[in-house]
Formats: sequence, structure tokens, C-alpha cells
Amino acid sequence: MLGFGFAFDSPWFLLLLVLLPLLWVFSFKSLSGLGPYRRLFSLGLRSAVLLLLILSLAETQYERKSDKLTVMYLLDQSLSIPINQREAMLKYVVEDARMHRKAGREDRAGMIAFGREAAIEVPPFDDELATTGRIESLLELRQDATDLSAAMRLALATFPEDSAKRVVIVTDGNENMGDAREMASVLAQRGVSIYVVPVTIHRQGEVAIEKVTIPSDVRKGQPFDVRIVANNIADPDSDNEGTVKCKLQLLRKSGQHVVPYEQAIELPPGKKVFKLPQEIDNPDFYTYEAILVPDRSEDDLLTQNNRAAAFTHIRGHGHVLFIEDWDNRGEFDVLVARLKKMNLEITVQGSDQLFSSLVELQRYDTVVLANVPRSSGADANTLTNFSDTQIDILVRNVQKMGSGLVMIGGSNSFGAGGWSNTELEKAMPVDFQIHNAKVVPVGALVLQMHASEMAQGNYWQKEIAEEALKALGPQDYCGVIHYGGTDGDTWLWNNPNGLLKISGNRKAMLARLNRMTPGDMPAFDPGMKLAAFGFAKVADAGVRHMIIISDGDPSPPNPSTISALRKQKAKVTTVAVGTHGAPGSTILQRIATQTGGKYYVVTNPRALPRIYQKEARRVARPLVKEKRVQPQIIYRHEMLRGIDTVPPPLTGFVLTTVKENPLVEVSIISPDPPTQKNATILASWTYGLGRTVAFTTDAGRRWANEWSEWDYDKFFSQMVNWSMRPVAEEGKFSVATDVKDGTVRVVVTALDKDNELLNFLSISGSAVDPEMESVDFLIEQTAAGRYVGEFDATKAGSYLLTLTAPNPDSEDGDTRPVTIRTGVNVPYSSEFRDRETNVALLNSLAKETPQGGQPGKYIAGSLTPEGVHELLTTDTFYHDLAKAVSSQDIWNWLVLLASCVFLGDVFVRRVAVHFYWVAPLIADVRDRLWHREQVPVVDQRLERLRSRKETIGAQIDERRASTRFEPAPDADVEGDLLAGEAASATQQSTRAGSSSGVSAEAEKTEETYTERLLKVKKRIQDDRKK
Amino acid sequence: MLVGVKCVGKYKKNPCQGRASGNRSPTVLATLAVPLARVTYARRTHQHTVFVEGERKRIARGRRDFTMSGQRTKLNPQPIFSVWLLLVMFASGGCNRPSLSTGKLDVVWGRRGISDGRFRKPRAVALGKDDHLYIVDMTARIQVFESDGRFINGWKTPAFENGKPCGLSFDLDGNLLVADTHYYRMLVYTPDGELLSEKTIGGTQGHGPGEFGYVTDAVQDSYGNYYIAEYGEYDRIQKFTKDGQFLLEWGGHGSQAGHFLRPQNLAVDEHDHIWVADACNHRIQVFDAMGEEPRLVRMWGQQGREPGDMKYPYDLVLDGKGHVYVCEYGNHRVQKFTLDGHSLGCWGGPGRAEGELNNPWALVLDSRGRIYVLDSLNHRIQRIRM
Repeated sequence: MLGFGFAFDSPWFLLLLVLLPLLWVFSFKSLSGLGPYRRLFSLGLRSAVLLLLILSLAETQYERKSDKLTVMYLLDQSLSIPINQREAMLKYVVEDARMHRKAGREDRAGMIAFGREAAIEVPPFDDELATTGRIESLLELRQDATDLSAAMRLALATFPEDSAKRVVIVTDGNENMGDAREMASVLAQRGVSIYVVPVTIHRQGEVAIEKVTIPSDVRKGQPFDVRIVANNIADPDSDNEGTVKCKLQLLRKSGQHVVPYEQAIELPPGKKVFKLPQEIDNPDFYTYEAILVPDRSEDDLLTQNNRAAAFTHIRGHGHVLFIEDWDNRGEFDVLVARLKKMNLEITVQGSDQLFSSLVELQRYDTVVLANVPRSSGADANTLTNFSDTQIDILVRNVQKMGSGLVMIGGSNSFGAGGWSNTELEKAMPVDFQIHNAKVVPVGALVLQMHASEMAQGNYWQKEIAEEALKALGPQDYCGVIHYGGTDGDTWLWNNPNGLLKISGNRKAMLARLNRMTPGDMPAFDPGMKLAAFGFAKVADAGVRHMIIISDGDPSPPNPSTISALRKQKAKVTTVAVGTHGAPGSTILQRIATQTGGKYYVVTNPRALPRIYQKEARRVARPLVKEKRVQPQIIYRHEMLRGIDTVPPPLTGFVLTTVKENPLVEVSIISPDPPTQKNATILASWTYGLGRTVAFTTDAGRRWANEWSEWDYDKFFSQMVNWSMRPVAEEGKFSVATDVKDGTVRVVVTALDKDNELLNFLSISGSAVDPEMESVDFLIEQTAAGRYVGEFDATKAGSYLLTLTAPNPDSEDGDTRPVTIRTGVNVPYSSEFRDRETNVALLNSLAKETPQGGQPGKYIAGSLTPEGVHELLTTDTFYHDLAKAVSSQDIWNWLVLLASCVFLGDVFVRRVAVHFYWVAPLIADVRDRLWHREQVPVVDQRLERLRSRKETIGAQIDERRASTRFEPAPDADVEGDLLAGEAASATQQSTRAGSSSGVSAEAEKTEETYTERLLKVKKRIQDDRKK
Repeated sequence: MLVGVKCVGKYKKNPCQGRASGNRSPTVLATLAVPLARVTYARRTHQHTVFVEGERKRIARGRRDFTMSGQRTKLNPQPIFSVWLLLVMFASGGCNRPSLSTGKLDVVWGRRGISDGRFRKPRAVALGKDDHLYIVDMTARIQVFESDGRFINGWKTPAFENGKPCGLSFDLDGNLLVADTHYYRMLVYTPDGELLSEKTIGGTQGHGPGEFGYVTDAVQDSYGNYYIAEYGEYDRIQKFTKDGQFLLEWGGHGSQAGHFLRPQNLAVDEHDHIWVADACNHRIQVFDAMGEEPRLVRMWGQQGREPGDMKYPYDLVLDGKGHVYVCEYGNHRVQKFTLDGHSLGCWGGPGRAEGELNNPWALVLDSRGRIYVLDSLNHRIQRIRM
């Protein structure tokens, strides 16, 4: 009723209230001297102090009831919902919040988008829903599944405590992850109401490919059938028997080579198996992809489930993928030609046509990265790079699939190619960074940030700064300049010199970057001045580079600042983003031109990380050592077998650091630098199931020219051959795979050379899923020569499997275990299996009754851009829920109050307060007001004291008079001192008789005694005179 | 104040459990309606997003505690909270910034938002008839308010994808002049929001007469001539007749007298002298532009933080009594000067509290001598007397 109340977090402390009566009992006596009123007052204050302290200990909370209502809209953005309806959702919720939100009640509205995950699009806020017209959370959401419960859980966590809560779920209800019903009951228990807006998917024909299978024992030149299982879920009726005319396409892919087959089919309702005869003439890794294309688009609602694939592998000669920098094509033509002469099958690819899946790499036994930088290109549009996923694919291909990886040097390779701090570095036998500043000159990089008006500007600025930071070595310097809120242009690291060494600071720098919020910079000049100042402070920096990102509208820098930077030999690269409609920024272009930097115009922010990777590489250039050296062979590795001569001199190589791992074998080093661990020319090791080789000089184009006269062919061919994956004796093993209900089943049949079943083998299995994550699974023997393993496959796409079996009797001395590779394809996510709105689920969600409130609502209507107004008739902000109670700690206030009351208690006990002054004051005021003659002021207190003194004096005199004892005339007043004392003693003995008598006697004794003393004194003086 | 925290990143599948003061349920994400928010995480390695007032503010990895400013603190915040309360108590009885302040805070209104009456980074203001305030913000809305903050009406500029207007003033006819910065033109509206297209000047990017870079402000003198300032590659001021005919131009990019670095705002005094807030030169320049060659009349100001110095003066206003008020974007304050640049005092300072400013862009003086300051990054208006 009051709208507020109190609660206690630690109510057990309230038991201390029993101390209150004890306090009263003990204090009542001890305070008796204060008088009745002060005693009571002091007792009350002491009780209040104790009470307040006990309430503080009990952690008292102030609770307040609120009329506010918060509505969170949960928008299903999974791919099973047609895109026009996904767009209509946004329109609906924005309109709904605008129309129904009660601003006077301070209602809040927020939005969560969900698919496989849930993400907050707009946090709850008491305003209209601010959107940019599209769902921005899609950047971080995967839409290939629906997890409604995750969105409900996130909403529950998002609600503010001081308002009633409601979720409005806009979905088709086809969840394939989590349990929305269970979550709905949790929401109901927590008082959250659920409204449901169903996305009605109109019933429409649907065809899909369920599976593609290939026999497990495909042999070269032997015909076999590819079986394709297609499904038509149409409901036949009297008008339409439901048969769908389609084209069934089968693509046989091996590398870039694609052989298509096509056949027209009629697909009746239900499942049907199609067999397509095939024959393989050349050994390779083949992917068979089946595609179903209905003649009429209305026969098929979802196209995502019209594809499926299967793999087979026929072993042949070793096959090498040779990747070269597309900016320097032909750089390794000589090497490629000479390797081909050595009977190696080589496919050359430019770095602009990179692989996109692990499957594509399975036809190759090793991959050579020949002087390839991580990113290359001339401008933002042509810039290409190895994405993190592609690097992951390369590494998994080695680690899990047993492939080889060879990195051949050059000025764009290893650390100089921007590969530092990547997964690739972990897979190589050398680290790409130098930890010794004496070995390599350091670089200095300054980033100036101004992209505040760009969409998601903060996010991208952090991303690019992180990318740049990753590319730098530990000895390099880095500084970030941004326009801070209070201090203007400042260094992000709070270091007066601005630039900091990466070594030991990288984590702190990344943490700072996370907190960076660059403001709207009015001018370039102050920041660039700071940069010039910072560069001047790092005298040991060999390379100085600055990157500015901006929309181009700050005021241009002064010419003096530009010349200061040029004096420092600092180059400034500028990146123009969101340039207010103009195609670029001439200011930024001029800065780059004047300082020798590069100028980029970026329209798609996704290009930004590539630019920063490439530009940060300029600072990493010192890793290249160009000097004529005589390499030395320090270990006769298998790669150098049969090469007995000393390798010719080199004129350069890339500096690296050998990994401190006993598996690393360094075969060739350079005498310079003297620190041997940084002087690697050739090193190798085994990484997972595969092998990697680092060759830090080039193949003869620039640094190793003289090697062409050496055992060039032998050396390089042995290097590549050594790295290749081992030849599996596939005749011994046949592997069959099957996918059913989200589980992959692997069946292995093992035979020996004489076709006898092999038993008691220890076979292990490992799969790499479509997102490059590894899944290890057990394979156990279930019958003679038969081994079975299973693992869950929840993601759609290709799973590549490696089965590893022991190889005890290898003939060529390779003791590496036998690896058998195969693949399995999960054709589509279960997201595309359900094709109708799950009305039953949605109804059950809406029927949940929140604690203290009314059940939710099922808002039926057409969720299309045109039909939104129909849905808006339901007020989603209708408050039929229990009022929210918000609580707040007040224990600290109580402590403060207790301390004040305690002071009051001390005051009451120490200071006596009276009101004697009140009456005279009143009288004085009264006389003044009425102009009465002032009666002379008599100090009544003195008067009272005087009269009291007189009264008491009179009483004493009276008492004396009544008790005076007159001495007898015959008393012996003369006598010596001793006699007097004896008399005194005699008089004292009479005390018991009467106290008044004692007083009179004492007076008399004193008189006599004094007289006697005077007499003695006089006698002594007389004696002296004599 | 609403503060929310969300566990993000690759840990989304297994989000951390958080506890927030004011919210006793152990939740992943806490949204608090308390002045000081503290959220404690079970896992330091997780990545979190913090929302302040509905805006995604910053991402923190491994952070344990948050205050409203997003700063991490390792100290137990309960005593800090107690101290904070004491400070608030003391502060509530004291003045805002006794060392600097010569002004007195009158009223604060407005808050972040997109609905009518709210702002998203307001950047320019002009005073119309009846002391009505015309304010444009980063949603390109021009909103009209009464002097106490009551919303009257509003409209948007015709195009704003490229950028939003950043200058407003009234002409002699009572029409609103809008510096449509990123469309290189000056728009003219009636006070009710009707666009007078025939009065538009510019629209073409360039350096020629009638062409513009980024337009910052437009004013009209007592003869009806328009003065339009621009910055970018060519920082200059162009003068046009009442009919929009080009008359002359002056300025140029640089720091010499008569040149500009971002002439952010213009004002006209009773002598028809043009006062220019030369923002990135941190100074004020005054010109007599009535002749064929504009003549520099006054120039004062230098960069600094002390009274008398300036840092990025973004706006100025004259009171007709020998004073000029300057809004300093970089120093987060308003400073009062004599006409020859002698400082008479400052008001403001960086911060979020009432009486503090966060990158103020503009100010205006009403008929009763009250100053309205656009506290841009705090998305509000503060009315003061100086």
C-alpha cells in the first residue's frame, strides 16, 4: 500500500535485538545521575544506536514498488524464416514500441535477435527502439539454427529489476536447440509474461536432398554408383498429385576441375533414390556434390537443403599445392619447373584464389607457401589476405589430416610477411619474432583513431588496432592516439612518451584497446604532433610508421607537422572511411602523399583488418637480414640425404627464433647473427600428424642465386617429399560412414596383405568439423576385423575424418602410423527440416501464467510488411502483471545515522541542558514590546545564592548557639603543652557522648592550644634576646 | 542511469555468472537503475559488453568491477560507495566549481534518446521568437523547445545520410538558417519547419564562388547579406547578397591572422562586424566585411586551459553589453570575455554531473540574459547565468 518496504539480506543478525532489554537494564542504573528526563533521553538514543547497528549488520534493503513495465522483443532471425518476414519483424517491433510504450510510466523496450545464439540488439531503455533499419547483431550471430531458449534466458538476464517484465517472441517456433517450454516455465516463475507473435510460414512444396553415398571401396577404373536420396514433402490432393519435376545435377570436383552431370527427374511425394553411374580414371580426392533444381520455384520453399556431397579418395603420386603471392606472380617459376621434372605433381595457386575449406586441401599431400605475405594488394578493393579461418584450415590440415607445410622465405615471408602471432606460427618449427633487440632493429607504429561516425566505428577501430598490435614483434614500439573526452588528443597507454615497447605490455595494451572510445577529433594536427614527438623519443626505432583512420573531416595538419614527421623518416598511411558521401578525402590523400605513405579508401569495413595487417608489416621489415653469408650444415637431415657439398653463400634471409622444443631439427644455419637460435636457414619438425619445414631464404630469385648451381633440384624435391603425408596402405582398410539423426557412424574393416582380418588394432579417430574445430572419438572393435566409432555432428557441412592405425611392419622405414582419411557431409541443418510454424509450441508458451499476473497472449496475424498494422492492435505494454519491487542497500546510511545518534547520546550525557533563560527572555521581550519600564536586572542566580547563603549561615549560628558549651570557671587553663594535649585527649574521649559537644570542646582546645603556642614562641624570642 | 553488462565473445555458449549490486539474482547480464553500478564476474577471462544509458559503450575482457564510467577498480567498492555518498552530501551543499565558476546553474533538461524532446549529441542551437530554442542533433532533427525545455515541434533535414547539420541561426525575417555541413549548402526554414528551397545557397562541393567545403555556420548582417563559413581544404568565409549572389570571400587555411583553421561559428555585432570562432587556431577573429576587402578588426585568444586561454572555441555569442561568451569544446566550459579578450570568468568543467560539460558544441543567449549550453556528449541542455 505504501509503495515501499524493507527487507534484510542477513536477517539472522536481527536476533541481536535481544540485547536491547539488557541495554535498558544496565544503563538504567549507570545513568541514574543524569536525572529522570536526561536518563530517559540518553537511554532512547543508546537504544537507537544499537538498533541502527543491528539493522546495518542485517544488511537492510529499501524496497520500492514500481509501475514500470519492460518489454523485450525476441526476434527469430534464423534462416528458416523467409527474409521478407525477418525484415517485417523489425518494422513491427519498432512500430509496436512507438505505439504502445507508456512514456509517462517510464516503460522500457529492448530487442534481442537470435538464431543459433542470442544477442542483445537494443538494451532495455525508456525510449523508442533506436535501430538503423537492419539487425546489427547479425554480425555476431549464426543463423543456421534456432535456440529460442537461449534468447529467453538472455532476456531474463537483461530485465531491470525495478519493472514488471514481458517478452514478445516473434518466431516460427521451430527450435532445434534448447528447450523453450522449460525456459518458459522458468520465466513464469520469475514473473515474466510471454506474448507470442507467430511467423506464419505458408504451406508450400518442398524438395530436399537427404543424402549422397559413394561405395567405400572405389578403385581406379572400376565403375560404381553414386546414390542420391531425394525427398519431396508435398501433400498430394485431388488437384495435384504432388510430383515435382526437377533437374538433378551431380558435380564431380577434384581441385579446380569440375565435371558436371545433369538429368531431368520426376520426384513423387516421399523419398526416392537415384543412382548415377561413375568411373574414376585418375587418382585424386574427389567430391561429388548433388544439387536438386525444381523447375518451378513454388515447389521449393528453402533452397538451403537442395545440396549434399560425398567424398572419395584414390591414392596416386604425391601432389603439391604451391601458393605464391599474386602480387609477384612467376617468382617461383624456376623452382616449380624443376620440381615437376622431379616427378612431383604441382598445382600453383595465387594468394588471391585461396582455398575456402579443408576438403579442398585433401587432394594435396603438402602445401608450399612461397614468399607469401598474409595480406597483399594495392588498394582496399584488391587487398586480399589469409583469413583466420584459412590459416586454421592450413594448420588443421597439418595437425589433424597429416599434410605437410613448407614455408619458403623471401621479403614477404615469416615475420616480415605479417605472419607473427598467428596459428601458423605455432605450427612451424621457428617463431617469427625476435626477442633480442641487438639482432634486429626495432620498428615503431603509431595509430591515430578517428572513425566515430562510421557504423560500428568503435568495434572496427578496436579490431584493426588489435590486428596491428598482433603483427608487431616484442621489441617494436606501438602507440595509439585518440581524441579523449576530457584531455583532447592523448596517448591511449597513458605514457608521457606515447610509444611503448610491445614486450611485456601486449596484454595491457589489448585491455586498453578494449576500453578505447575515440571521440570526434576536431583537427589532425595535435595528434600528428604527438606522433612526431613520440617518434623522436624512440631513437632506436629503425622504421617509423603511422596509420590514420578517419572520415576526413578534421582540420588538416600544419605543414610544419608534416615536415617534422618527414624529418623523423616516418611514413603516414591514411585510411578514409565513411567520408560523408564523398568518394574519398583529399586531406587524407595529401597527408599520405606528402609523407610517402599509402592512401586507402574503404567502403566495406571488413577490408580494414587486411589493411592494418599489411601496413603493420612495414614495421616488421627489419626482420629481413640482407648480407652475404656462408650457410653451414649443422645436422644431416633426411632432406639433405645425398648432398655432400657445402651450400653456396646467400645474400639474405628472414630472421626467426628456433622453438625451444626437442622435436625441432635445425639443419642449416647462417654464421650471422651470432645468436644461433636466430640464424636458422632450414628447420623442420613434426606437428600433430603432419610435418612442417621452414626455409628462411628464397629459392634463388634474389638471395639464393648461387644455389641454382648446387644440388638445387635434389635439395628442394627432398624437402617437399619429406614434408608430404605418408602413403596409407589403403588396401588394408575400408571405411564406411553414415549420418543419422545428427550422429556420424564410422565403420572400419581391416585386412592384412593376405586379406585376413586384422584384430586387436588400436585405431583412433579424429574429425575436423565445418568450423575447423577438432572432435576426437573412440573406435572400438565390434567383430572380427570390424571397428566402429561414433560422434555427434550438429553442424551442417563437411566433416573430414582421420583414422590413425599403427604401422608396425612398414617396408620403407617410415614408422609414422597409418592415417586413413575420409569425409562425411551433413547436408543441411535441422533448421531447414521443419517447414511449418510450430503452433503447438507457441500456444503453450503464451499460456504460461506468470507469478502474480495474467497469462500471455497469442497475437495472431500476418507478419508481412503490409500486415503489420493488424498485429499492432494488441497492446503489448498492457500492465496486468505483479508490480516490480526494486531493492537498494541502505546499510551504509544506517551506519552514518548510528554515528550521528551516538554523538547525540554523548552530548546528552555530558552537557546539562536547562531552560532557566527562557523566562527572563520572554519577560524582556514582553517589556520591550509593550514598552514597559525596565526593572533593573537582578541576577536572580546570584540573588538566590546569596539568600541561600544567608539562610544556611543563620541555621549554623542557630545550631552553634543551641549547642555551645561554656567552660567551668575553675578549669585549668594554665599548664604546659603536654598537659594541654592530655586535656585534649580527655576531651576527645567525650565524643561518644555528643557530636555537638565534640565541636564545642574542639573549639575550646584550639583556642587554648594557640595561646600556648604563642606563649612558647614569645618565650623563645625572649631567650634569644638574652 | 541504466547500466547493463552482457557476456559476449566465444564464451556465449557458457556465459559467466554475474552479480550486480541492486540485482540479487545471479544473472549473466545485469541492468541496473542505480547511480553506481558494480558487476562482479566469476570468470576474468570472459569478454563483456557494457551498455550505459542504452548505448553500447565499451568492451571489457576479464574485468571484474565496473563503475559508471567503465573504469575497473580492484578495491572493495563498498567503502568507496560510502565515501562517494559523503562526497555527494558535501557537494550538494556546495557550489559546482568554486575555483572557476562565475556562473550559476539554472536549469538542466534533456536526455539521450530518439523520441521527441530527447537528443543524440545536439550540436547547434539558435534562439527564435519568444525565446524558443531550435536545436539540431545527430539524428538530423531540428527540434523546437520552450525555454524551460518543453518540446513544441520538430522536423528533419531533407537528406542526412552523408552527415548532419552543425550550425543554426536566424535571419532578419525570422527564418532559420541551417548549415547543412556535409551537403555543402545553407538551407532556410520558416520557424514552423517549412523549407524555403528558393533561398538555399550552395549545394556543390568545391572552391569556387558559391561552392563549399564543410559548411559550419551561416549568419545575416543588418543589410541582409549572408556570411557562410566553411572548413576542410579551404577554410574561408563567403559573403552573399540577400538574393544569394556571391559578393566576396576571405580567409584561407592557416594560422596567420585572417586565416582560419575550422571557422566553426559566426556572430554579427551591432557594427555588422563578423565574429569568427576560429576553432583549431583556438582564437576569436573579428572582421569588418562591409568594404571590398574585409578588414581584421580584432584577434585574440590562445590555446590553453587557464582562464583567458581557449581550447577549440566552437561557438560564441555577444550580449550587446560589451561581453562575449565562448563555448570551448576542448576545455568543456563556457568563458566570458570582454570584447577585447579579457577573461571575466569561466563556468563548467569536464564531467557528467550537473554543472559539468562533455564536449559542448554550442550556446545561445536569451532575452533575459540566460545562457543555454549544448552539453553535447551528455545529450542535454544546461541553462546558466553568468
